[in-house]
Amino acid sequence: MKVVFSYVKSYKWPVFFALFLMLVELFVELIQPLIMAKIIDEGIQAQDHQLIVQWGTVLLLLSFVAFLSGVANSYFSSHTAQSFAFDLRNALFEKIQSFTLATFQKFPAASLITRLTNDVSQVQTVLFMSLRIMLRAPLAVMGSIIMAFFVNAKLALFLVIGAPIVVIFLVSMVVKGVAYFSKVQHRVDRLNRVLQENLQAIRLVKAYLRGTYEASRFEKVAGQLKIDTVKALRTMEYIMPVLLFIMNMSLLAVLWFGTKQIAEGTTPLGDVVAIVNYAMRITGSFSMFAFIIIFYARANASAERMAEVLAVDNEVEMISSSVGATDKVKYGEVLFENVSFKYPGTDTPVLQNISFHVKAGEKLAIMGATGAGKSTLLQLIPRFYDITAGRILIEGQDVKEWDTQRLREVIGYVPQQSLLFTGSIADNVRWGDVEAEMDAVLQATIQAQIHASVEDFPRGYDTRVGQKGVNLSGGQKQRLSIARALLRKAHILMMDDSTSALDVDTEQALWKDLESEKATMLVVTQKIRTAKEADQILLIDAGKVVAYGTHDELVKSSALYKRIAISQQEVEQ
Amino acid sequence: MAFFQKPFGYEPILSKDDLKQAVQKKKGPRASNWKSTLGRIWRIVDEQRGLLVIVLLMVMASSALALIGPYLIGKMIDTFVMNGNLEGLGKMITMLVGIYAVLAVTLFLQNYWMIGIAQQTIYRLRTSVFSHLQKLPVSFFDRRQHGELMSRVTNDIEAVSSTLNSSFIQVFSSVLTLGGTLIIMLSLSPLLTLLTMTIIPTMFLAMRWITRRTGPLFKEQQAAMGALNGMIEETISGQRIVKAFSQEERVIAEFREKSLRLKRTGFWAQTYSGFIPKVMNFLNNMSFTIVAGIGGLLALYGHVSIGVIVIFTEYARQFTRPLNDLANQFNTVLSAIAGAERVFVLLDEQPEVEMVAANHHKLRGKVDFNHVYFKYEQGEEAYTLKDVHFSVEPGQTVALVGPTGAGKTTILQLIARFYDVEKGEVLFDGVNVQQIDREALRSQMAFVLQDPFLFEATVRENIRYGRLNASDIEIEEAAKRANAHDFIMKLKDGYDTVLAADGREISQGQKQLLSIARAFIADPKILLLDEATSSIDTVTELEIQEALDTLMQGRTSFVIAHRLNTVRNADIVLVMQKGELVEVGLQQDLIEAGGIYAKMLSSSSRFME
Repeated sequence: MKVVFSYVKSYKWPVFFALFLMLVELFVELIQPLIMAKIIDEGIQAQDHQLIVQWGTVLLLLSFVAFLSGVANSYFSSHTAQSFAFDLRNALFEKIQSFTLATFQKFPAASLITRLTNDVSQVQTVLFMSLRIMLRAPLAVMGSIIMAFFVNAKLALFLVIGAPIVVIFLVSMVVKGVAYFSKVQHRVDRLNRVLQENLQAIRLVKAYLRGTYEASRFEKVAGQLKIDTVKALRTMEYIMPVLLFIMNMSLLAVLWFGTKQIAEGTTPLGDVVAIVNYAMRITGSFSMFAFIIIFYARANASAERMAEVLAVDNEVEMISSSVGATDKVKYGEVLFENVSFKYPGTDTPVLQNISFHVKAGEKLAIMGATGAGKSTLLQLIPRFYDITAGRILIEGQDVKEWDTQRLREVIGYVPQQSLLFTGSIADNVRWGDVEAEMDAVLQATIQAQIHASVEDFPRGYDTRVGQKGVNLSGGQKQRLSIARALLRKAHILMMDDSTSALDVDTEQALWKDLESEKATMLVVTQKIRTAKEADQILLIDAGKVVAYGTHDELVKSSALYKRIAISQQEVEQ
Repeated sequence: MAFFQKPFGYEPILSKDDLKQAVQKKKGPRASNWKSTLGRIWRIVDEQRGLLVIVLLMVMASSALALIGPYLIGKMIDTFVMNGNLEGLGKMITMLVGIYAVLAVTLFLQNYWMIGIAQQTIYRLRTSVFSHLQKLPVSFFDRRQHGELMSRVTNDIEAVSSTLNSSFIQVFSSVLTLGGTLIIMLSLSPLLTLLTMTIIPTMFLAMRWITRRTGPLFKEQQAAMGALNGMIEETISGQRIVKAFSQEERVIAEFREKSLRLKRTGFWAQTYSGFIPKVMNFLNNMSFTIVAGIGGLLALYGHVSIGVIVIFTEYARQFTRPLNDLANQFNTVLSAIAGAERVFVLLDEQPEVEMVAANHHKLRGKVDFNHVYFKYEQGEEAYTLKDVHFSVEPGQTVALVGPTGAGKTTILQLIARFYDVEKGEVLFDGVNVQQIDREALRSQMAFVLQDPFLFEATVRENIRYGRLNASDIEIEEAAKRANAHDFIMKLKDGYDTVLAADGREISQGQKQLLSIARAFIADPKILLLDEATSSIDTVTELEIQEALDTLMQGRTSFVIAHRLNTVRNADIVLVMQKGELVEVGLQQDLIEAGGIYAKMLSSSSRFME
């Protein structure tokens, strides 16, 4: 709660004004019964016509002041609450952008979505209410009690007799509430996850007719969410009746003893009436009070969830500020020295003792069976993960000493699964370089063999790409994601089996056009004919290097390589 | 005044014209739209009529008790307190203790049951939206961001939920209390009652002024929330790319923009709805003043007793409080409507069209395309498929070849009837696909998609997705045939390994193996393989090729593959180019004819050498 609410600090003045205006309102409300008592005691009982009119006018004016304060308060409160939510959302999102890929294991996308929207809303609502009523209800209760003491301490004592029980009761309810509501939010995460999976897999669901099965999966998580929400809300529902009952009992006590005192002549009638009035006001504030406690518990649960995100310590992204080498000789050079790696939180090594050296401008082909560790190897270069042993030198400098941002700027990465984003085709290519001129974009798309296809679309480069590129064919997506990487003018170009959906002619043309690239290339491929063109071939199996050399060398020296070549009828059996 | 035009620099969102339109619309179709939204929510709530009646009874009881309490206290002040009379006071107090105890119990119970009703309603709403989504055509999903749709099921329904929890009881008890208070007030002093009532027209006008603004603002707010959700979902799902291209700043800037839109609408919606209690409070105070001031004067001339005034101020408060609540609830209901409307829009989406007399045709496996034309978007000029015409006999294997974007995947999607053709016909055993029950059709097909998708579930469950009643032995059998068994056994918990959301434990090629295993288990009549082995190394591919060949035996199979050697066993070859079928025929015939296909084959082998 603390971490999250520190974001209110920037809005000291609006908060101050909002609270001040609220106090003005409250003040009016509190002195009303006082004036009322005056009208009864001094006006009506003393038959003073003048006084009644006078105080009546004062009441009227005060109401007006209260009204204006209230309206102005609305502006200040919602400004504070909305700005707070805005800052918090941005802070969360920025934090998430600095997450390492390993951290995303801990916080799945679905959960982050809930935290950024639903949880922020919960806290935002509470802040808004605090600035308007949340403080007001407790203050009104306190104020009423103080005023009651001011009027007649002996009688007022009965109003606070139940207070200790009330405090203990409320604290225990809040503790329970926080626990219950954080469970509810967790259920929302699960719901979001099932939804997200279902949407991502919608074709699969349809192809295998799993609509009903999916619906039952969803019903399960929605049902759990329902059960936990009901449990949480029902527990909170004890608050209001219990508070109300205690208060009403105090009221009756006041009446009983008040009457006694009047009979004894120790208390004037006006006092009793005023205290009864205050007591009823307190009762009136109680339903609000209960409401606030529920909201507070809920917001507290949400705030903790956000604090979790904000507290993440990003090991990898802790960047040293040294700048990348500009040594011409080492331009784009990649060196692996006995690199071993396992994914964080797992025991099985994915890569063991990998060593290779790609000189500036050279091309390395990486081959190996499905699951051998090829994609993982590439992901270590932009430092998506930290290695467990060995060293990776890029342009002569250890990746751990690179400024991560700068490191990634010299790398053009074409992932295995071509992932595009909602937006136009030009926008998507410009991910490579936001400021690129259209000429540069065209150059990249021509080189990636996608220009002609884009031109064929009725809206050309303005064609909207659906989420993840649903409206494009597999090959078109791959070529766009190649264009995106080319636009980067990177020193190192990494292609992760990213031509698998291209037909032979297109692929051939692509490789031909890429020959002029001066970048160092690391190409994961299944195809011998692609590997043949490379300066070196790295063959890995089960995370270890089994062969390293040129095509001709490998055909002779490696049985596995030969087997692959035979499978593609590239060499004679 | 400038402050009120643009407070804290917030640009106004609603223009004068918008407001005028809102007024006009209110009289027209929008009013009925409103009512229908509420009506639809009500129909779900009403499914639990029994509980609802109990809640209503409890509300009546508690409202009555809440009225009787102060009434008796007023009486008590007049008869006992004023005169310092203690006789009979004890009895009265005991009675009140009883009344307040019952009040507390009825209050608790009404909320207890109402929470159940509300959450059941929300549950029903959520699950019906979800089931409805399952029936929508694929094209619906092509046009929407996942996160935006997710927001409707979570954030929008959440708005309905918080309203249902409180509003129903509030509204009902407010109306009751209002009626009851009015009766008592009238019986106490018709004149003072009339004075108190003067605030109602003012209240009405003020409410109209406010809700005319909050209504559209709430809607805009939910939409802004949806857009933000969409952006978050997409960015986080594609985080790897964001990082690889170090585009963090770009997405942060985009996020800020969407976040700002939400902030702006949120500010106005919250400010305006914040006016309501203030206005009501003001009117409340006015009535208090009226009663106190004028009542005092009346008492002065002996028209009313002091006790009446004391009680009357309390009743005037009791009278304005439910009005106040009603006003607040009205606003909450508006926000719920804004959420609900976005949900009902989904429910109103047309599901995949089904012919009335669709039959459960048992496929033999003959597939014909009869001069098929197709495009994805209605408005598009160019066809994705143009005049595609071919015929496949049962059990034949068909290879689809051609450059990317030629329409190969589209043909498979039409066979599975993810989309309907624009012109021409797709026929199964001579029956138009539109006359075959969609479910019956798909249940006889298996599809291995271009992008394999795995669920966050165990390996076993992922394979079982192909046929839900498959036994564990069958699953292992299928995995073995798909060459997936070995790597599965190397996973932490073998077949019981839970795959992570981003599936990083296994490679893309392994994902393809699992989705092939899924097809094995499905035992279909028609098999659709779209680049099913593209990420698999060629050695493994060779090993499963044999299994695939067995799988294809006796089934009509359509295969897309770029490595032409993987389609060499096909009976028929369809060569596609820019949406047109440029060559079709038996594999052997095409090679001998020396056309495009023959050239492709030779170019790929030339390239190989």
